Amino acid sequence: MSFDEQMRDALKTFVIESLELLQDMEDGLLGLEIDPEPSERINAIFRAAHTIKGSAGLFGLDHIVAFTHVVESVLDTLRDGKLNVSPELVAALLPCCDHMIELIQGVSDGHADANSSLSAAARQLLDGLESFLNPEPKQAMTAVQDTSERLESSGGGIVDSGNWHLFIQFGENCLRDGMDPLSFIRYLATLGEIVSLTTFSHAMPDADSMDPETSYLGFEIVLNSDADKATIESVFDFVREGSYIHILPLENRIPYYVELIESLGEENAQLGELLLKSGVITQRELQEGLNAQQAQIPQPSARIGEILVDQQVVQQPLVNAALEKQQQIKDNKARENQSIRVDAERLDKLIDLIGELVISSAAASLRGMQSADVVLQEANASVISLVEEVRDSALQLRMVPIGTTFNRFQRVVRDISKELGKDIKLVIGGADTEVDKSVVEKIGDPLMHLVRNAMDHGIERAEQRLENGKPAQGTLSLNAYHSSGNIVIEVSDDGGGLNRDKILAKAIERGLVQAGAALSDQEIFALIFEPGFSTADQISNLSGRGVGMDVVKRNIAELRGVIDIDSVPGRGTTLKIQLPLTLAIIDGFLAGVGDASYVIPLDRVVECVELPVDDHRDYMELRGEVLPFIRLRQLFRKTGPTAKRQNVIVVEHLGFKAGLVVDRLLGELQTVIKPLGKLFSHVQGVGGSTILGSGEVALIIDVPTLIRQQEHNPFPG
Amino acid sequence: MTELATIQDKLPVAQGKTTAMAGQYLTFTLGGELYALGILSSKEIIDYGNLTEVPMMPVFVRGVINLRGSVVPVVDLLARFGKGATPIAKRTGIVIVETINDADDGSTQDLGIIVDAVNEVVEISQEDIEPAPSFGTGIRPDFINGMAKRNGRFVILLNVSKVLSVDEMATLSKVGHGRELLLDTEAG
Repeated sequence: MSFDEQMRDALKTFVIESLELLQDMEDGLLGLEIDPEPSERINAIFRAAHTIKGSAGLFGLDHIVAFTHVVESVLDTLRDGKLNVSPELVAALLPCCDHMIELIQGVSDGHADANSSLSAAARQLLDGLESFLNPEPKQAMTAVQDTSERLESSGGGIVDSGNWHLFIQFGENCLRDGMDPLSFIRYLATLGEIVSLTTFSHAMPDADSMDPETSYLGFEIVLNSDADKATIESVFDFVREGSYIHILPLENRIPYYVELIESLGEENAQLGELLLKSGVITQRELQEGLNAQQAQIPQPSARIGEILVDQQVVQQPLVNAALEKQQQIKDNKARENQSIRVDAERLDKLIDLIGELVISSAAASLRGMQSADVVLQEANASVISLVEEVRDSALQLRMVPIGTTFNRFQRVVRDISKELGKDIKLVIGGADTEVDKSVVEKIGDPLMHLVRNAMDHGIERAEQRLENGKPAQGTLSLNAYHSSGNIVIEVSDDGGGLNRDKILAKAIERGLVQAGAALSDQEIFALIFEPGFSTADQISNLSGRGVGMDVVKRNIAELRGVIDIDSVPGRGTTLKIQLPLTLAIIDGFLAGVGDASYVIPLDRVVECVELPVDDHRDYMELRGEVLPFIRLRQLFRKTGPTAKRQNVIVVEHLGFKAGLVVDRLLGELQTVIKPLGKLFSHVQGVGGSTILGSGEVALIIDVPTLIRQQEHNPFPG
Repeated sequence: MTELATIQDKLPVAQGKTTAMAGQYLTFTLGGELYALGILSSKEIIDYGNLTEVPMMPVFVRGVINLRGSVVPVVDLLARFGKGATPIAKRTGIVIVETINDADDGSTQDLGIIVDAVNEVVEISQEDIEPAPSFGTGIRPDFINGMAKRNGRFVILLNVSKVLSVDEMATLSKVGHGRELLLDTEAG
């Protein structure tokens, strides 16, 4: 792999990760206002911005660095508590998030440099942030001027600032030991320039009690030197015993060290080592600190950071920076342990192979059953149970929590409610509910439609809500839960509900329903899924064009799901989407008709009963109720002798029960769905196919379309 | 260049139909007639058997088979030509053919075709290929790419993308199905 390719790969990873981080950032920002304890959230947001800035810097994407830097600064002041969370702040930061997404997508599209229009947009956004950054712009200006002046002078050779701060109190006996403090200070001057030196003479006793051979003086020295701390410390090696020597980075150099600590590599997660590496403490100081920690009796209670600060070898802000870095390293490690990135295609390939494995093991087991070899049968049984476990865990790999999809709607709801001038909050429930990745990918669009619809048509304006005795703020909720092998997603609003009469009138006007037809509420509500149906009086930007609900229904049908509407006038509407957990495998019930086998999805099957004496009617009595049934033999035009005793499989769809008459009941099975392809797309009542253990292909019956077909065409064959 | 010239020479006779190229062909018998498929589109030959019927399909779609874990539709070529269903005999086989769907971004689909017997793979040269006559073969002229002379008899070179056009067959099934329903309703 050439260097260029490596860079390209790395850049790709950068784009993916940054987009993910920005998503996290957006989620964090959206939750900021409602979070009673936002500090953890702010930290997370800050870290995301910081990471993006750092990585962008690695790739030399200066425009991203420049923009992100300002955002980061605002977040930093927020983190320090100098700025409070406010809706205005969130409103200013969200577009910045968007802009960063744009910038990063720009990078992935191949233009690394900011084009001018983006820059103009960026400037506007940054100006918006500026007011948060500098609440009192005058003061900030002077401060900035100050530093620039000082920097200029240091550049000009007249040094008025140093980088090390030394406190030295020579030991009382050093003169007696033949050590002259002055010579050390002179030697110190060889390492750099002594910017200032203050002598402390407060320890000096009165003249009569003074011992001329005792050293009393203390010195505070500001040193400007390129040497690191260890070198400076080594100057005083001979007098360390009995002397009090502290070397600290100068206060105005702290930010430099903080940055140094932040930029350290990630292999050392020990606090002491981080400080040591950045050069703010020396090995000896660390060792002393550790000794002090060990010496604490009975249990070392103080932490090394606290000890080091107590011993005045390092300042508190540096320890804080190191602690934060340590936390970050830990977080990264933890994240690495939690998840690995896998190409979705590889996962699909694995699932496919396991599907084949399921089929082959079923075939092996079938052969085993036919032989009288008990040991073989037992071995087969254990293989099958293992294969089932493997399949279940493979399917688990594809399962993702629906929460990520739901969270995207926080932003959507926020933006749309602003656009509509309505106050609407989004309540999310069941975010941990897991569902197959392919389902998650395809459910986004239909959900978007439903959410927009609910906000536009469902929830009334604030005035009207108050009039109806409801809180001014509308509530939209997204909820998900598992129910008997399905995932149920609910989109509900507390708006005005569906207008039954209006829908009916419109349907009659459009000729969808005969005037005077007696329809149940369910049937009337279902009319809104008809193509081109809209009851909105005004066509808005968002919805009301009558395009959408039929598409929603079709999309959901493609996922083998169904959608139901429940609506109470004045109370609100709930749309309930029922989807299978996975698109690849279903639990089925196998039934034989003539020489063919059919699979009926198990979640549709209610019970099986024997067909009473066949009197050539297509209905029977089931516990006092009429049960219409479909003779699969007739429907599928199967010839051959009829079984002596036919059975009825009772299936259910939308609360409607029907029977399917079959020759044989062959029991439950789990099976891999194989699509039938375009050639068979029009075949009603068949939803796909599957390969049985015998190698034979069995058709999977699609109960909803089968029942619908019967309703529309009640006189088959 | 010569090929181009040949095509242009033959265009008026061929009435705008593409003429088959020289190359290797798989020949098979079906209903007493000799047909050939380009070797590149033929994937494999299997014995007839274990076929699952799909209801509500026209007679030329026999059903589906399990080809090592994939579900492959099987087309009765004789019925597709309008000559009635192929009777199943001992030597009946299924040739798996790969078709390219132009309408659907060039995706490929495997289809099986029922044949009475598979004969051999032959090399057919350009000079042996004659344009298809506009009538007389008993099948739609657009199904034929050309006629190849071989051992004193003609082999019909099939136009696979036309004969096994999934789009056309799907439309036909839909229409056929609708008509059937209509008849059913009248009968009921």
